[in-house]
Amino acid sequence: MSIVNTNTRSRIRKVVVYAIYIILLSSIQVSFPDKLGFAGQTADLMFVFVILSGYFNGFWDGAIVGFVCGLVRDVFSPPAVVGLDGEVRVTAFIGVLTLFAAGIVGSAFFTKRMHRNVPFSIVAVVFVTACYKILGFLLIFGWSTMIDVPSSLYSPSTAFLYSFLPQLLLNAIAAIPLIFLLRFLGPVSYRGKAEKDKIVDKQGEGTWLGI
Amino acid sequence: MKKLIKNKWFIALLVLLVLAAFAVLSLLPGSPVKKLLKPVQLVTSPAQSLVKNAGDTISDFWSAITDGIAIRKENEALKEQIADLRYHLTQNEEAALRYEELKEALHIKDVFSNYDIYGASILSRESDEWFSTIRLNAGTIDGIALEEGNSYPVLDVQMNLVGRVIESSEKESRVLPLLHEGFAVAGKVNEVNGATFMVVGDAELKRQGLCLVKNIEKDVVLEPNMMIVTSGDGGLFPEGIPIGVIVSVDYSNPLEVTATLKPYSQIGKLEDVFIMIPYVEEETVETQNTTGN
Repeated sequence: MSIVNTNTRSRIRKVVVYAIYIILLSSIQVSFPDKLGFAGQTADLMFVFVILSGYFNGFWDGAIVGFVCGLVRDVFSPPAVVGLDGEVRVTAFIGVLTLFAAGIVGSAFFTKRMHRNVPFSIVAVVFVTACYKILGFLLIFGWSTMIDVPSSLYSPSTAFLYSFLPQLLLNAIAAIPLIFLLRFLGPVSYRGKAEKDKIVDKQGEGTWLGI
Repeated sequence: MKKLIKNKWFIALLVLLVLAAFAVLSLLPGSPVKKLLKPVQLVTSPAQSLVKNAGDTISDFWSAITDGIAIRKENEALKEQIADLRYHLTQNEEAALRYEELKEALHIKDVFSNYDIYGASILSRESDEWFSTIRLNAGTIDGIALEEGNSYPVLDVQMNLVGRVIESSEKESRVLPLLHEGFAVAGKVNEVNGATFMVVGDAELKRQGLCLVKNIEKDVVLEPNMMIVTSGDGGLFPEGIPIGVIVSVDYSNPLEVTATLKPYSQIGKLEDVFIMIPYVEEETVETQNTTGN
């Protein structure tokens, strides 16, 4: 008789594998950004990993992995923002907010119909990255207007050419090895799940279809 | 109502609202919200250092293999250079002695003599265009104690401006780099009574590795390749720290002439930096104490 049952074993595997990937990817991201960059942008490994965790493993995985990755991002490279008094300050929890949101939006594609379709996962990454970029620019514009500080934002065409496109491309490329890691060396074993996907059954349709 | 509370989308919305509130609260001066991240820092920092060291070791090993021939040639050239430098060193020793004598005589003020210089290594860099502060491995226990509204200049090995420290914790500090949109420093042309202006970070120029020069007075003429240093105005940065060179000047709007500047410091390639901390001389402290008593 086994001391640790299958359910507990799979949970341990999930926690350990996620922990290793989070530490490894976040460390690589902030230690060697020059090796992940192109046209002034950097492939966002943590961001892509969070989206894919939500896409492949559902709402709760996306939310929790996003939350933890966000905490790590806020420790390693938090953004500096002009505060209400005009002083530039290091912020906290913007990373958590961003990656938590990315995880749950990524999980919106988690459906029986999708059946963890691998090519579509890249579409999910591109979609969430585009949302992140657009919302990011709107937030910076809104915050700068609110505190009455002139923002040095790109013009829309420059933003599209030099910020959106390189970031979308880099994130889509970064998604390819991460998809393989999550599918074949990931926190969840997909063996024998082709016919009946217990995870989908348990979590339900985590999409706009399920709302 | 019970159904709503159990709904995962409703929970997610609540969490997002709480996080947004925390993010805004963290912008207040002396906000305690940031302390919530301390346990995460304790766990993740050693792990990140381990990964960084492993990556550096692999990179160094690879360089050792690929650069072998180049290193041998460089070694030959360096040997010749050493012989040449030895000759110059002997000559300069005498000149240095003369300089010290003249310095005493003429009371030449050393620009950075009122600053302590602390060395630190870069732990982590920006993770994307918005999450772009730099983390150093020196904190309050190393003497980098930052008071509210204060800041310390950060320089590279060649003493060029890299950025400024904007936050320090026990073992780490965070640097706002020169290219960041929130960065601003008063600069001047590197000559006696050089014209002063502002050198600021700009989102659009950042991707080209450039800064914006603005607030240039009407009668000031800036030209490409002019060397720009800190002017000392504002008090945060001492006068004379090299910032960079002028790349281009835009006279299209005569009322608002701007220029672009290429910083000397290659922030993406830096490993070690220096933090300049102004020290209070003991005599001054004693005088203040006496006056206070």
